Amino acid sequence: MDLYEYQARQLLQEHGIPQPRAIYAATAEEAGEAADTIGYPCMIKGQATIGHRGQAGAVKRADNREEAVQLAERILPMSVSGHPIKGVLVTKAENILHEYYVSISVDRASRDYDVLATANGGTEVEAIALQHPESVKRLHISPLEVFDRQAAKAMAGRIGFYHADLDQAADILLHMWETFQDCDATLVEINPLAKVGDPDDESTKHLDALDAKISLDGNAAFRHDGWTRFSDSGQDDPYERKAKDNGLHYVHLDGQVGVIGNGAGLVMSSLDAVSGAGQDQGKAVRPANFLDIGGGASAQVMETSLDVVLSDPQVRSVMVNVYGGITSCEQVAQGIVQAVAHRDDPRPIVVRFDGNAAQEGLRIIADSHDARLKVADTMEEAAAQAVRLAAEEASDFKEGAR
Amino acid sequence: MTLFIEDGATVIVQGMTGHQGMVHTARMIQAGTRIVGGVNPRKAGARVEFTLANGTSESVPVFADCTQAVTATHAAASVIFVPPRFAKDAMVEAIQAGIPLIVVITEGIPVADTAYCVALAQDRGCRIVGPNCPGLMTLPSQPGSRGSNLGIIPDGIVGRGPVGLVSKSGTLTYQLMGELASIGFTACLGIGGDPIVGTTILEALQAFNRDEETKACVLIGEIGGTAEQDAARWAATHMTKPIVAYIAGFTAPEGKQMGHAGAIISGGKGTAQDKKEVLESVGIPVGTTPGQTAELTRNILREHAII
Repeated sequence: MDLYEYQARQLLQEHGIPQPRAIYAATAEEAGEAADTIGYPCMIKGQATIGHRGQAGAVKRADNREEAVQLAERILPMSVSGHPIKGVLVTKAENILHEYYVSISVDRASRDYDVLATANGGTEVEAIALQHPESVKRLHISPLEVFDRQAAKAMAGRIGFYHADLDQAADILLHMWETFQDCDATLVEINPLAKVGDPDDESTKHLDALDAKISLDGNAAFRHDGWTRFSDSGQDDPYERKAKDNGLHYVHLDGQVGVIGNGAGLVMSSLDAVSGAGQDQGKAVRPANFLDIGGGASAQVMETSLDVVLSDPQVRSVMVNVYGGITSCEQVAQGIVQAVAHRDDPRPIVVRFDGNAAQEGLRIIADSHDARLKVADTMEEAAAQAVRLAAEEASDFKEGAR
Repeated sequence: MTLFIEDGATVIVQGMTGHQGMVHTARMIQAGTRIVGGVNPRKAGARVEFTLANGTSESVPVFADCTQAVTATHAAASVIFVPPRFAKDAMVEAIQAGIPLIVVITEGIPVADTAYCVALAQDRGCRIVGPNCPGLMTLPSQPGSRGSNLGIIPDGIVGRGPVGLVSKSGTLTYQLMGELASIGFTACLGIGGDPIVGTTILEALQAFNRDEETKACVLIGEIGGTAEQDAARWAATHMTKPIVAYIAGFTAPEGKQMGHAGAIISGGKGTAQDKKEVLESVGIPVGTTPGQTAELTRNILREHAII
């Protein structure tokens, strides 16, 4: 779960990481009031759970209230790479003397935690890593290790926060680690971590986290009260919200063939088969969604799944691909028949069953004598048939509209 | 030993008395696995009866903890079915009892808990398989000996043969097993779909490479991380047996978790295309569908005169 910057700030603040003052504003009017409170110059930062907001024009500096309101009006309706802006954060514009990058993340390959840091922060760390690999330090924290103040100080020394107070840098590293651990994060990134202050007054100079990105481990929600305070994060899509409320693994895509299956791998494979069939047939038909009914799904789960998938009006056909391991194809078939029985919906559903109770499942489909339900022997055939039907449905649909 | 476990080895089940544990323990016993105990401190001393398809029944004792279970049974493996919030304690208990192979079926374990347990297991010389996986199935290496089905892989799809299978996905494992049923397997290993797993694709290939009876491998990967690429780079110079691969998720968008906690493309890394390119660059063919992957496997087995 990716947090918005203003949410990430809350977690950093709770762990004692210094940040410039900031106020979240949902409307342009609120942004103007916030800017007056913060003082000028200030930054108006569009909130989206994606990077490169600055390059997209969603982060701007305002010198007076009028500018702050105008910028907020311009930024609030924007989207960054398909992620809609949700409110703006109004922060004090700091006088930046130097920028650093620091992140802690789960390292899948070394199966521990990765601390990535560079004194050349502010821009893209990936680009710096390519151009000046020597300037990017990559250190590891073992899951068995006690990473305390002493360890943080040693690490700050190895990273070499030049121009900065090493004690303060060590404190920030330690607090970042505490945030990471306490919150079950998979990523805590501060970029930039900046040395700010009056260039002529040494006593004002200090490190401040000017922007932050935090991702939380969804599997750990049970020990954080379900993170209800962040429940609005990453829930922009109405179909995804509906699926989540029903406990389904669903990802909304932009195609015409709804895809339902059991097991993440099999469903991803089915999406690829639909895309491949679309290309083979020279049709602009793509998968409309990913939906994994999981292991041992009941008829009810299948029925709900079809409801969610068919609620997307762009869907023209559905492919159901089940390899019964724990899941019984018989249960899945019952769910399909139940779902279509009470729907006056012409859209066809192509079913492919294999494994546990496949024959029983196919018999239930056949016995329903429902012309909307089609059967295919293999996953590849099911994908090809669903694509063909979606293309036909789409042309019928257009003719009907004329 | 085929893959991480001897034929007929003794096995305990943590979480056996729960609903999932009961259902799957019955299936594992039915498949011939030597289940010699369950673990549940509240039911220690009890016995659980499992009725088999032929009408006979098997009585399995329940122990208070892993250490007692190991003392009484010398278990060589444990299969874990406990819910996510208790999974870390269960894994730590199994590691501290010195159980050499710990298969974790549970889905939804926080990655920090897995990271801790995998590091602890490495430190103590134990192997974790999973979590969030279908488990490990070994086929008996000699007539009359017993293979082990540790987890939820359906029994009866395949018999013994020359192929070793390693996969991030459960249902795609069953799919490929079905497609290659007539050829057969030495072992089928689901490593799981989480960002951190106890046994990687690379470690599985290393084990298959050591196993004399495995003549070829099928690798099923999916988006997320670089486990497939890491395995390919190792295989390029070390693997003495042919490998055929399949990767799921070419259609997956960036930044979206596709069912498995680990199936996510982030920062442009972990794409199916990159995995395919790296695998192919070291001479490992990558099928476009599971069906075509099975076809490629049959062709390679013929080329190497394995079938």
